Amino acid sequence: MREPITISFSGGSALLLQSNSSRFDEQFQKRIWSLATDLQAAPGFTETVPGMNNILALFNPEEIAPEEARRELTERWAKAQPLPRRGKTVEIPVIYGGQNGEDFKPWARHCGLAPLEAAQRHAAGTYQVAAIGAMPGFPYLSGLDPALAIARRSTPRLAVPVGSVIVGGAQAAVMPQTSPSGWHIIGRTNIALFDPHRDEPSTLAPGDIVRFTIEDVWL
Amino acid sequence: MAVKVISPGLSTSVQDLGRPGYYHLGIPEGGGMDRFATRIANLLVGNDPGAALLEATFMGPELEFTEAATVAVTGGELPPKVNGEERPTWESFPVKAGDRLSFGYLKGGARAYIAISGGIDVPVVLGSRTTYVLGALGGFEGRVLKAGDELPIGAGSGKAGKSLPANLRRPQISPAELRMLPGLYWHRITEAAGKRFFEDTWKVAPEADRIGYRFRGGAPLEFVEREQPFGAGSDPSNIVDACYPYGSIQVPSGTEPIVLHRDAVSGGGYMMVGVVISADMDLIAQLQPHTPAKFAPVTLDQALAARADNAKLMARAEEYLAG
Repeated sequence: MREPITISFSGGSALLLQSNSSRFDEQFQKRIWSLATDLQAAPGFTETVPGMNNILALFNPEEIAPEEARRELTERWAKAQPLPRRGKTVEIPVIYGGQNGEDFKPWARHCGLAPLEAAQRHAAGTYQVAAIGAMPGFPYLSGLDPALAIARRSTPRLAVPVGSVIVGGAQAAVMPQTSPSGWHIIGRTNIALFDPHRDEPSTLAPGDIVRFTIEDVWL
Repeated sequence: MAVKVISPGLSTSVQDLGRPGYYHLGIPEGGGMDRFATRIANLLVGNDPGAALLEATFMGPELEFTEAATVAVTGGELPPKVNGEERPTWESFPVKAGDRLSFGYLKGGARAYIAISGGIDVPVVLGSRTTYVLGALGGFEGRVLKAGDELPIGAGSGKAGKSLPANLRRPQISPAELRMLPGLYWHRITEAAGKRFFEDTWKVAPEADRIGYRFRGGAPLEFVEREQPFGAGSDPSNIVDACYPYGSIQVPSGTEPIVLHRDAVSGGGYMMVGVVISADMDLIAQLQPHTPAKFAPVTLDQALAARADNAKLMARAEEYLAG
């Protein structure tokens, strides 16, 4: 039988634990959150970075031998129970299409839907923040309607504007800052997702619920 | 006390020993890319090793001092000049009010560290004064320096004439040998391609910055066939987004390896063939474009031994400067 997870070293001071399944699994993700919290108190571990379907655990090899760290991680994972975390709900109003959503129509066409219908289905979903990462405050959202999935662009854009509402593969997200990205831009929001001068710099945290609302649709 | 920026150089930013602990918000640790040079420059001017200083890339800035201070320049061989007169590197020297600090052409390495007694007193953002340009946060207004900027300097007094002898510095060897731990996606490339990866001499590409160093000139990687995971991109080098630490070697499209450095994002969708060991990351910070480099596989034990050696080199230098 295939092991459900793989734990491997990423260099001499980090371990990556990841699911062997390439599909998103809510229960698995909840165990990741639980492990992330648990590891904060583990001696020798310096930082944990929950990803989607995976978690990176950084440790100080002067405090804990790498093989010891691997054993520790393996044992703590075995004990990790799904953390029934349901955070705050954040509403994100979206202007779909137009010049701020240049992939909106081709995306709708790819999904075999009329543009308005595609926007409605995107806004009908309940999304959950699986992880924050890739750039300050960037939320990896689970819960995209499979009918709305689309492979990433073969050539990433060098500057996708802040506030862009995007889809890539089976994932949805919002750009917290202007950055390169290979995801498709379907709309724009004015909600700020990141401000380093706030007590909580990131608007969203793992477990939070996101709902998109239709502010307008440019057809 | 302040320092006026007359001209900024090519890419000069405020750095310190970084902003650890925010990976989970998508913020990399950052900080001086050459940690050894960062710490030593500060110690030479009597600062805490983690004080904020300037990191200048390839070309130095021109600065004017409003008050007297002690200055030291370490890292790449970027010869400092005070009012046009050359000063040594790796040695502290005094500047008076009204003096101008400029730099000659880079003679070796890639990045110079300019420490000023008292340190650069920009606001602390999320625990550090380091500039993270991509996230527009920290440092001086979250960006590289521009002409006309005025940098606030903290209170401090250094002693001129303090220096670190060459035998206590890290030697720069050419071609650079970058030791790496083969990573979890190593099995995704063919055995022959893996062998070539270590045999080939690579060259630093012009796209080499704080985010990552791209290498060119070796054979493209050949991938083992696989079924594309859902959620990953269509290229064979795509994986489902994963987190990766700095030092990770990505090979987008399998053609040119990129070693992620201090400002790299905390995750992404390209497979990592391995991780350059922490002891060699300072070395990369000092590689100019077109410099030859080879990758060499090491074991975890060798990586840890190298890490300990690196710490010893640092401790010896610190001990010398404290004495």
